Amino acid sequence: MLKPLLSVRDLRVDLNTRSGVLHAVRGISFDVAPGETLCIVGESGCGKSMTSLALMDLLPRVARRSADEITFDGQDLTRRRIAGKLRGRRMAMIFQEPMTALNPAFTIGDQMVEAYLYHVGGTRAQAVDRAAQMLEKVGIGSARSRLGQYPHQLSGGLRQRVMIAMALMTDPELLIADEPTTALDVTIQAQILRLLKDLQQELGLAIILITHDLGLVSRIADRIVVMYAGAIVEEGTAAEIFDRPAHPYTRALIDCIPQPGKTERGAPLGTIPGVVPLLIGRQDGCAFRDRCSLAQPRCADDIPTQDAGSHHWVCIHGGQA
Amino acid sequence: MLIYILKRLGLALIVALTVSVIAFALLRASGDIATALAGEGATPESIAVIRQTYGLDRPVVVQYFAWLWDVARGDFGQSFFFRTDVAGLIFGKIGNTLILGGASLAIALALSIPLGVLAAIYSGSMIDRAVTMFSLLGQALPSFFLGLALIMIFAIRLRWFPASGTDGWRNFVLPAVTLGYYITPPFMRLVRAGMIDALNTDYVRTARAKGLPARRVVFKHALRNALVPVVGLVAVQLGLLMGGSVVVESIFALDGLGYLAYQSISYRDFPVLQAVVLLLSLAYVVLTLLSDIINAWLDPRLRAA
Repeated sequence: MLKPLLSVRDLRVDLNTRSGVLHAVRGISFDVAPGETLCIVGESGCGKSMTSLALMDLLPRVARRSADEITFDGQDLTRRRIAGKLRGRRMAMIFQEPMTALNPAFTIGDQMVEAYLYHVGGTRAQAVDRAAQMLEKVGIGSARSRLGQYPHQLSGGLRQRVMIAMALMTDPELLIADEPTTALDVTIQAQILRLLKDLQQELGLAIILITHDLGLVSRIADRIVVMYAGAIVEEGTAAEIFDRPAHPYTRALIDCIPQPGKTERGAPLGTIPGVVPLLIGRQDGCAFRDRCSLAQPRCADDIPTQDAGSHHWVCIHGGQA
Repeated sequence: MLIYILKRLGLALIVALTVSVIAFALLRASGDIATALAGEGATPESIAVIRQTYGLDRPVVVQYFAWLWDVARGDFGQSFFFRTDVAGLIFGKIGNTLILGGASLAIALALSIPLGVLAAIYSGSMIDRAVTMFSLLGQALPSFFLGLALIMIFAIRLRWFPASGTDGWRNFVLPAVTLGYYITPPFMRLVRAGMIDALNTDYVRTARAKGLPARRVVFKHALRNALVPVVGLVAVQLGLLMGGSVVVESIFALDGLGYLAYQSISYRDFPVLQAVVLLLSLAYVVLTLLSDIINAWLDPRLRAA
């Protein structure tokens, strides 16, 4: 693997709630190489969104972040001054809800040039040129007139394109996309995904894609991190995860994807029985054991991490168990 | 935007006409005007003469339009009590009230916007509680008490400002502070609530994600959206402002419209009262129109409405 662009070691996010401290992210570590797509997958409440917000220092006020290391291109992101210089310039983020992510009071153009002028500088005219160019790049026609429009005049799909264009204004090296297509309808989802893929190849952009949709992941991921209950349960290349899923949870997730030709017409879609455990307090042993068909008494003990090259998983069972 | 303004303007005109009908009816509903004008112990003959001189024997609709025509030319009739021209009476005092109202509003906004923003940013903290206490105090403290306290300290002890009169700008400082603090709490609460909402929105998170400095996120992205309801409140608060100015003008012997309204009520001086009600209602209509236009500028989504 290339020298990582982003390195995360033992990242933790704790939230103070009325019933105690909720450990949303429980000491996760991963790297992102320049230009690669890392997908972080898991069900709702597994801590994947908290992870992305923690990287951008956008956590809600009740949340506390701690980590042994978060570095971007060798620079320490846990130091506020350094993070302030990188965020919105060399690392950018887009969100799940394009309908509400843009400020209703300002034009698209105004919002697009803002970060560029702040981080990069130059004249307003240059920034507006750049914005028009970026809108064209994300496939929005008559870009110049779009710049004068307000968010409420655009559809959801267009708004997400605008969000992407806006994120790319400063030519970042890393784009964090938190469920970027979840709120959109299926045809638009495919378009946005294709757009992200194309932009990545053109700009050499590294992408962290946060999603619950493994179908989406199979079309874009270089590497995959599977999260469950705030921890990483399996990590590997897309081929390793899809061809040789080692963790029962990963296999369960893959079994939930309907596949043309394989999945019987009219058959009920796969589900994983049970729910994600509450994340308040300590978790001993494997968090998935209550929902796992292969669970054994020793799953309640400490679980070793198993390695096969770039493929790691946290389970007592071997690769093809 | 122009179409929006024209629409609002048309609406405001309709409201203004409705208000004029009500103000006109107010005087008629208070009893027989000719009898009231003639005074106690008048003969039926003299009442009939008065009725004819003032045109009160004509149909009501005719009277309304005659009155409306007079009002449009600035003629509000004669005061029962002062025995002078109502228009002259009012226009001599309206300036003082406008200065007092404007200064109070400016003080209220200058206090409530920064304090509301501060309380919202640090919501739940000591700062938030201190700000809330300060605004609660403004609500709980009767303005006559605060007015008298200010006179005691700044007029009598320190001699910085005069205690009463209408001689110059110094006369307006204490009344404006009193009235401004009195109307601050509702503004402060609205700014605070609006900012807490705005700071939790997705678009503020987007602004943060863009790496913009905190003050730009707060004052550009959040405050602009939080101010929309505040602008609307300015028009609504006119009533509170007028009610407060009746008290404040009396305490500081400030010769304004509030004090005149108070007098006209106690002396049953209906022509004056009618003119004051009409002017206040029109001021309300104009302020509402202005706040609609300002809000359309603040929030582009309103322009389509």
